[in-house]
Amino acid sequence: MREFLPRPTIAPAVVWAFPAPQRARLSNDIELMLFDLPGQHVISAHLVLDVPLNAEPRDIEGVATICARTLDEGTLRHNGEEFAELLETEGAGFGVDLSLSGTQIILDVPASHLDRALELFAEAVTQPSLADRDVNRHVQLRLAEIEQAHANPAHAASIAFRAAVFEEVKRAARMNGGEPETVSQVTPDTVGAFHLDHFGPAGATLILAGDFADDPIAVAERSLGSWRNDDQQRVTIEDPTPGPQRTLLIDRPGAVQADVRFGSFGIDRLDPRWAAISIASYAMGGAFLSRLNAVLREEKGYTYGVRMNFGPLRTGGSFAVQGSFRTEVVADALEISRDLIKVGSAPFTSQEVNDAVAFFAGVSPLRYATAEGVADQAATQALAGLPDDYVDRSLALLRSVTPEAATEAYSSVVHPDELTLVVVGDAERLADPIRALGFTDLEVRAPAPDQTKP
Amino acid sequence: MWGMTSGALTSLGYPIVEHTLDNGLRVISSPDHIAPSVAVNIWYDVGSRDEEQGRTGFAHLFEHVMFQGSAHVASGQHIALLQAAGAVVNATTWFDRTNYFETLPTGGLDLALWLEADRMATLLDALTQENLDNQREVVKEEKRQRYDNVPYGDVMELLNTLTFPPDHPYGHTTIGSMEDLDAATLEDVHGFFRRHYVPNNAILSIVGDVEADDAFERAETYFGHLPAGPKPPKPQAGPLEPLSGMPRAEASDKVPAEAVYFSWRLPARGGQDFDALDLAFSILGHGQTSRLHKQLVRGTEHAEGTGASTMGLIGGNSFGFSYARARDGVSPEQLEQEMVDLIDQLLSDGPTDEELRRAKAQFERHWLHELARVDSRADVLGEYATLHGDPNLINSRIADITAVDHGDIQSVMEQWLRPDQRATLIYRQEAS
Repeated sequence: MREFLPRPTIAPAVVWAFPAPQRARLSNDIELMLFDLPGQHVISAHLVLDVPLNAEPRDIEGVATICARTLDEGTLRHNGEEFAELLETEGAGFGVDLSLSGTQIILDVPASHLDRALELFAEAVTQPSLADRDVNRHVQLRLAEIEQAHANPAHAASIAFRAAVFEEVKRAARMNGGEPETVSQVTPDTVGAFHLDHFGPAGATLILAGDFADDPIAVAERSLGSWRNDDQQRVTIEDPTPGPQRTLLIDRPGAVQADVRFGSFGIDRLDPRWAAISIASYAMGGAFLSRLNAVLREEKGYTYGVRMNFGPLRTGGSFAVQGSFRTEVVADALEISRDLIKVGSAPFTSQEVNDAVAFFAGVSPLRYATAEGVADQAATQALAGLPDDYVDRSLALLRSVTPEAATEAYSSVVHPDELTLVVVGDAERLADPIRALGFTDLEVRAPAPDQTKP
Repeated sequence: MWGMTSGALTSLGYPIVEHTLDNGLRVISSPDHIAPSVAVNIWYDVGSRDEEQGRTGFAHLFEHVMFQGSAHVASGQHIALLQAAGAVVNATTWFDRTNYFETLPTGGLDLALWLEADRMATLLDALTQENLDNQREVVKEEKRQRYDNVPYGDVMELLNTLTFPPDHPYGHTTIGSMEDLDAATLEDVHGFFRRHYVPNNAILSIVGDVEADDAFERAETYFGHLPAGPKPPKPQAGPLEPLSGMPRAEASDKVPAEAVYFSWRLPARGGQDFDALDLAFSILGHGQTSRLHKQLVRGTEHAEGTGASTMGLIGGNSFGFSYARARDGVSPEQLEQEMVDLIDQLLSDGPTDEELRRAKAQFERHWLHELARVDSRADVLGEYATLHGDPNLINSRIADITAVDHGDIQSVMEQWLRPDQRATLIYRQEAS
């Protein structure tokens, strides 16, 4: 057999840019962002409504979610099942996405059906029936969904972590879809009122991406251009603030693994340290051979995967080391993690920085090659208040990050001795070993009570 | 991109060019310059159906070992080098396949091919007991995380057992058992590699920003010198008859809601019978306008969630599933009866025109999505070439589905979904 070829070098990447939208305004002032993407035959439409979740009255949190989920259960023109049937006959998919900073209503449809599907989409958004029976059912389904979430240890850990990391008076501390005690107070009247008060064209952005069969501006104008709501109220988004440091162990008797979240309050994309922190978090817990995964998975075999993740909000955010580990090794995994996330004596290297930049730059063209990818990113930008060329700017900023800047930004945000720890696992076997690591403030909690049943 | 006939899409026009190297490696190219990226995807024709008795979970464990280095690549470096070239990298194992894939900027194509070729040629040079033991632990953590420590995590295993005999290639899950994972030895890894990881048992798809001739030339450069091996025999499982005897099982655990699951044996994928059943399952349980959702979630409000789908397999038979999770105060038996009634009604009346049209429209959107991305297109090319011998089928899938009519659906349902042809699993809440 002949000599094996040497490892090939990588040819330089061609210049790439995020597609620039064409902007227009509908006659009711809805901002239209168009991405004409030849070859993308499934159109992706996102209507981004400027309705932050803190618009929900405190005692009925979850009302925005119930409202959004009931939109496609029938409209004033097409009652009940007929509406969904019409939409599905167009080959369309309808969805909603609620984040702290706003609500997205999403439509995917083959280009040749856009006109009719967008007309139906607009009906759901502007004239939904929000019938009593449908609202009440969605309340019950949401309560069942919360039970399912608490039964899943990874979800339970994330729920407990956000409740600890954000100050408890802030909306960010509670699930986007609401907690059981407020969801159960949501009624058809409150949903109708929420729709009337907050759904409207003011502050709305319609994003359309794909290979259009007809003039998309005319199509958008026909479907949404005449939407009015003189009673629409605008609510300013609330800034989350950090909660006090906590150490929580949520009992899951007999669990074979424990889910861990170890982190704190973070920063947002507009923070000048964002590029540097993105690089640092990739090196610490994003890459396959990140500092955390190389040791805890590839060396020790303690986990299927461990990450360090930064979740930016419109302002502020959170970050955490997250993973699940078999019960026997949880304490050891925590101790190793706590050491690894200290960078004082092991600053980030130029190799780590170069690899991270190459990764982020390399995945972008593919991620944004489809209508779905582009529309999704444009919606994220609209919700976070970012400019149209955000992706290009942020890639340029990433390329300017030095190892020193990555280490400095990371050290200014991640204080390993002040982090909140949430563990969901078998308390009987875990409490003592975790305390022995020095987490003497450990608070053991019973599993989330079933608050939805009498 | 496609031809239009009477308002419906018929045939898509994605370019597909094939070339087989002398050692039997089939290479498929589908040039697309939408982005400066290229998807590299290798389907090896080996999955959990090829596992031997006492070695369940081995094909998947082996997949993990493939990332532990080869003669010229250190452990873990396969992914590390590709990520540093801007790649998204992964691999999956399923009943019928193991696929390895990366999508990256075009300038990294040579690196990707070199890395794939190095492990296809020289995996065993780098294999150590330590690497095997480490990945065995990682796989066991994966099993705990995805199956053992989540509600309803054992449903797949229970349905497998109900639907196929224990010694059938589909009679066990891909994740396998802890005992069998523990039993795997270095010799097993050697044997499995030599048997299945030969160029003539693989399909290499290269999709994206590279022309076909260029792709073939590079494939020849990196893979052309690898020797062919004997073509491994496929497990001999002839098509089984539909289920009989109405097998039934119960499970109980700390789950938030009680649930009912049905499973069926279906015909193998790759023909109109399977396509017609796929539409029937979609009408029964996919989406908001499906019969299960309309009746049980919206109508009686006895279920918090419902669904039905097929799982297409190539070895003689496929699976079909349906489920409903009960709302509080509704017994699984009551829910079961309501599901049975709905299925029997679909069997006796057949789908309505509107239902059939919706199911086809939803398939069309799903399929267009699947082919729109170079990475998922590379994967379905490998899938159709491996399982059906012909990657060009991806361009005619919408036409195939469009061609199915009411009569086809009713006649295959009559054959495979009669009331006594299902298995039932009842999942109860353990008293706390």
